[in-house]
Amino acid sequence: MKTLLIKNAYVIDPIQKISGETMDIAVRDGKIVDDVKNPDQVIDATGMLTLPGGIDSHTHICGTKVNFGRYMSPEDMRAGRTSRKGDMHATSGYSVPTTYGNSYRYSRMGYTTLLEGAMAPMEARHTHEEFRYTPLQDCLANTLFDGNWFALEAIRDGDIKRLAGIIAWYLSAAKGFGVKLTNPGGTEAWGFGDDVTCINEPIPHFGITPRDIIVNMIEANEMLNLPHSVHLHCNNLGKPGNYMCTLDTYNAIPDLNDKRQSLYSTHVQFHSYGGSSWNDFCSKAEDIARSVNDKPQITIDTGQVMFGKTTTMTADGPMEFNLYRLYHNKWSNHDVELETGSGIIPVHYRKKNLVNAIMWSIGLELGLLVDSPWQCILATDNPNGAPFVKYPEVMALLMSKNYRDAEFETLHKSTGKRVILPSLDRELTWDEIVTMTRSAQARALGLIEYGKGHLSEGAEADIALYPINVDTTDPARDYERIINGFSTTEYTIKRGEVVCRNGTCTMESNHSTYWVNPHVPPAYDMGTDAAFIDGFNKYYSMRITNYPVGEEYIGRNVCMESEASL
Amino acid sequence: MQEIKDMVCPFCGCLCDDVTLEVENGKILSTDNCCTIGNAKFMGKNRLKNPIKKVDGAWVDITYDEAVNTAVDLLLDADRPLLYGWSGTHGEAQCVGIHMNEILGGVIDSTTSVCHGPSILAIQEVGHPGCTLGQVKNRADLIVYWGCNPIEAHPRHMSRYTTYADGYFLDNAFRNRKVIVVDVRETETAKVADEFIRIKQGGDYAVLSALRAIIRGKGDMIPETVAGVTKTQLMQVADMCKTCSFGALFFGVGLTMAKGKYKNVRNAIELVDELNRHTKFTLTPMRGHWNVYGANEVFSWMTGYPYAVDFCRGVAFYNPGETTAIDILARKECDACMIIGSDPAAHFPRQCVEHLRDTPVIVIDPFQSMTTSFADIQIPVAVTGIDAEGTAYRMDGIPIKVKKAIDSDYPSDTEILTRIYDRMLEVKGL
Amino acid sequence: MMKVILEVKERHKPTLPIEAECITPKNFLDPERVFHVWKGNKELDITEVFHVRKDGNAKSADQVEIIIRGDSSNIKRVGEYMDGGRILIEGSIGMHCGNFMSAGTIEIKGDADSWLGREMHGGTILCHGNVEDYAGSGYRGEKKGMTGGRIEIMGNAGDFAAETMAGGEMIIHGNAGDMPGIDIKDGSLTIMGDCSRPCGNMSGGKCWIFGTAYDMLPTFRNEGQTSVDSVPVTRFSGDYISRGLGMVYTANHKYME
Repeated sequence: MKTLLIKNAYVIDPIQKISGETMDIAVRDGKIVDDVKNPDQVIDATGMLTLPGGIDSHTHICGTKVNFGRYMSPEDMRAGRTSRKGDMHATSGYSVPTTYGNSYRYSRMGYTTLLEGAMAPMEARHTHEEFRYTPLQDCLANTLFDGNWFALEAIRDGDIKRLAGIIAWYLSAAKGFGVKLTNPGGTEAWGFGDDVTCINEPIPHFGITPRDIIVNMIEANEMLNLPHSVHLHCNNLGKPGNYMCTLDTYNAIPDLNDKRQSLYSTHVQFHSYGGSSWNDFCSKAEDIARSVNDKPQITIDTGQVMFGKTTTMTADGPMEFNLYRLYHNKWSNHDVELETGSGIIPVHYRKKNLVNAIMWSIGLELGLLVDSPWQCILATDNPNGAPFVKYPEVMALLMSKNYRDAEFETLHKSTGKRVILPSLDRELTWDEIVTMTRSAQARALGLIEYGKGHLSEGAEADIALYPINVDTTDPARDYERIINGFSTTEYTIKRGEVVCRNGTCTMESNHSTYWVNPHVPPAYDMGTDAAFIDGFNKYYSMRITNYPVGEEYIGRNVCMESEASL
Repeated sequence: MQEIKDMVCPFCGCLCDDVTLEVENGKILSTDNCCTIGNAKFMGKNRLKNPIKKVDGAWVDITYDEAVNTAVDLLLDADRPLLYGWSGTHGEAQCVGIHMNEILGGVIDSTTSVCHGPSILAIQEVGHPGCTLGQVKNRADLIVYWGCNPIEAHPRHMSRYTTYADGYFLDNAFRNRKVIVVDVRETETAKVADEFIRIKQGGDYAVLSALRAIIRGKGDMIPETVAGVTKTQLMQVADMCKTCSFGALFFGVGLTMAKGKYKNVRNAIELVDELNRHTKFTLTPMRGHWNVYGANEVFSWMTGYPYAVDFCRGVAFYNPGETTAIDILARKECDACMIIGSDPAAHFPRQCVEHLRDTPVIVIDPFQSMTTSFADIQIPVAVTGIDAEGTAYRMDGIPIKVKKAIDSDYPSDTEILTRIYDRMLEVKGL
Repeated sequence: MMKVILEVKERHKPTLPIEAECITPKNFLDPERVFHVWKGNKELDITEVFHVRKDGNAKSADQVEIIIRGDSSNIKRVGEYMDGGRILIEGSIGMHCGNFMSAGTIEIKGDADSWLGREMHGGTILCHGNVEDYAGSGYRGEKKGMTGGRIEIMGNAGDFAAETMAGGEMIIHGNAGDMPGIDIKDGSLTIMGDCSRPCGNMSGGKCWIFGTAYDMLPTFRNEGQTSVDSVPVTRFSGDYISRGLGMVYTANHKYME
């Protein structure tokens, strides 16, 4: 029964409204407790900024399309290889690291909980296999429903309760965590090579609109009392002028939950584009931010782009094909029957490329124009915008106008005509940065009551100690120190054990899988629904008995049960 | 007598999961829904009873403990061990293999390198425009089989996934689908094709180029015949591809092992990419072994590379042609081998087999095979799908749990490899 | 001038290849530098594999000459990242000789194994014998092979010579094998002898074949006759499965009909 005492920690914990207090933190058996006597280990955290462990609420780290990205990119692999060292296995990869690579690099940055951005339920087993080898973070999986035939049929028939039953069945079967929609309607249209361009346009065959899908899914999700809201990758990602579609989408979102948002809108930078073509492409971050500021029922993450090479990978098959048509890079596609799609293509974001420079600016504008950090989460849609190891640089940019200006000088000279970034003086505070890298995520994902994102008594002892002395650091000027400080913790503690010390990971494994198991009344239990089972066995290429992921795939796990209000 | 439904067949890349087994007294009596090859796998007899060791030219029975210790000594002693096979084992065992290779500082490779290695090399150059098999089943109205003969090598492929399968979007699937077969001779599959293209040996690349040019509207310079195929037929086929609603191209070793190998596959991929500008088209390699794709998946998420991974320098290095088993064996570049779930002596060139003869070899396999003749020890294990279970990946990347039907005293691949790995850690003080 | 002579010693398990990327002129400038080579997973001092003799001084890589003698046919990665100076290999050399080279000269009296001058961007490699596959090529998944420099092969080349070439020049005096110049983007490739299926998917660059190009690909357009160095050749533009901005000149060609 391991006990740990962290002394003299300088704590910022927005969920507890602690804003820079020095205190001791006591840990027993992986949880934070009031006090320990004769602790097994004592850490002197003098001068260290101590935060709850980082939470990434949208990252692509495990599963079929991520692994596609790996094996099709040997040139990415050779760019980031490390040897075995003590308990650390060898790693490879720069923008699509191996699972050990991801886990060690996140751990070094103080991150202890990760939400895989997109998992097709038919391929859930693969995601869970990779979770097992991401050993230092708790993992959760967003489960894709954007093109799910049974769901689309229920929506077409106006049967929301049945829709809820279908979602419940799939989430339990896939051991998933949340409802993910990627280009709703578009991925199904892509099954025959089409896409959707407007949320009010009926999709082929099923006849419903993307708006119908989004709103119905939100209602069904709330009926199931799930911890997280619907998580949406809007239609029209990446297209000039798409901000209108984003605004239309936001205007359709009901406010159905008083503890958190009803819609998590992801990587919004990619959805904030003005202009009508690449020639007059510009930022509409202001309009988007205004809409978000006005709607407490929406939380966004920024989807920041950073310059350099990376690999894009999303369930948005048609969008990835368009990138192929633009850049002629190697392109992979993988449509999943009855469910969704995916595409992968490497990209290179360049400072002197006007479009890329605008994209970079938009991400920062969103971070600065959305008033509340609780509604504006910091992320790069790893690896689509940039590899996650660049988060500290993003933090530094948001905290320092000087740094932003210095970087802006190096961009394409016309960037200033298309964006308003240089005119924004706001510099995010310590509290705000801490909020958008863990507290906001915990709230958005419904994990506060599961002890994540804060350091209260009873919370998970997931703690990150950074070599940053807040009293002697001025983030507006010392941005190098911000970058270095947030890149490598002095200690990363997971479940009360030190798992990373100064960049070296020191434990083989210490994690759990979090998944949901919503209970629905028998009438809506798809497991006994003849129509569902027959359709399943007829149209899938796998038998329904072989579909659900067994407990043997999830090791130590936390099952989040809920009772549906149907 | 017990009837167990929805079991998974561990033979080919189709990974059929609708097999019924009749089991009694710990034995499989019969199968239903299996093709003949699958049935033979389930009904296989003559398993090795216990580990054996070659002592002075004769086989001697040994215990599992002794077998584990011998394996550990042989492998730890080596400067460049080779761990080969893997496509006949389940994923959990492949993971142990990777960890083992990391400790040993050796080379790990799977049967990919003699089969669809070229497909992966091509994908690494131009990507993979693919989909799951159910997409083909439900949507495809044009099927192309290039350099493969599913009727004989993947017998249920056509009835489960393509030509004869019921599809959501096709009213009368069989009648509304067209099948094109491309091969150097008229195979059984060619006989049921709507259009058979007979190609001269080594002519695949040229024909693929011709089709690409025609589809790009640049067919004017193409000669009247290309590798035995008339320009008329090429134009006809290009038209069928452009005007279908959903085309699915499947290809096998006829393409991957023809001269040019991965450049042939690359050309096929780029043809499919081009077709995606006109309609929906996908491409799927007809993976041979039931879990060879699984080995690619596991190797990739663990090491970054899908096969042929050299760990001698402590970091993963990948270079097919240099780090592949055939090349290493042919050039005598390894000094100990562990062969698991594969029979290289039956398939590899003579030069490779000669080196197997001269090198310490550990074989892990339920059955005696040609490779047994070259082994120093052989360790029998349970058969995944019969008396062991684990995860496998179908030819389209779908992960399936291969369940077990009966219990036995044999250790599974994962169990035996874990024992060997743990003992290695012990010996090395790690 | 510094002269370093490395003579291959007899060793245990001689068929296991040696990785010797430390053998490059600039590394010998530092008298304190430790030289290790690898035999499989075993790290060895260079003196366990070579007799080492060093004479003279040098202030820069250009002033260093390395001579390798004995059976060096499976010594790999010699001259990797070379940026000046000279390496003379009196026998044959193993894979990856001159990887990533940017300047200097490598001369091989015997044959060279595969991946000679992989991803080179400057300097000169001269091989008197034959080379195996992938001379002057790229690495798996990268878009470019050699981007500069010159590789001259007096004998024959194996398959995929100058694969994904994106600059520089290669001259093969003997025959090339199958698919030389495949996926070539820029640069120039000259083959004095025969080859088969040259320059598939060519998007730029130039290739001259003075022997016979067998199985000429059907998607090149015959632009007519011309002459090069008084040799009558057919000029082709192509490859039209790609952008067709390349040129191939053949003294003779045959299609697979």
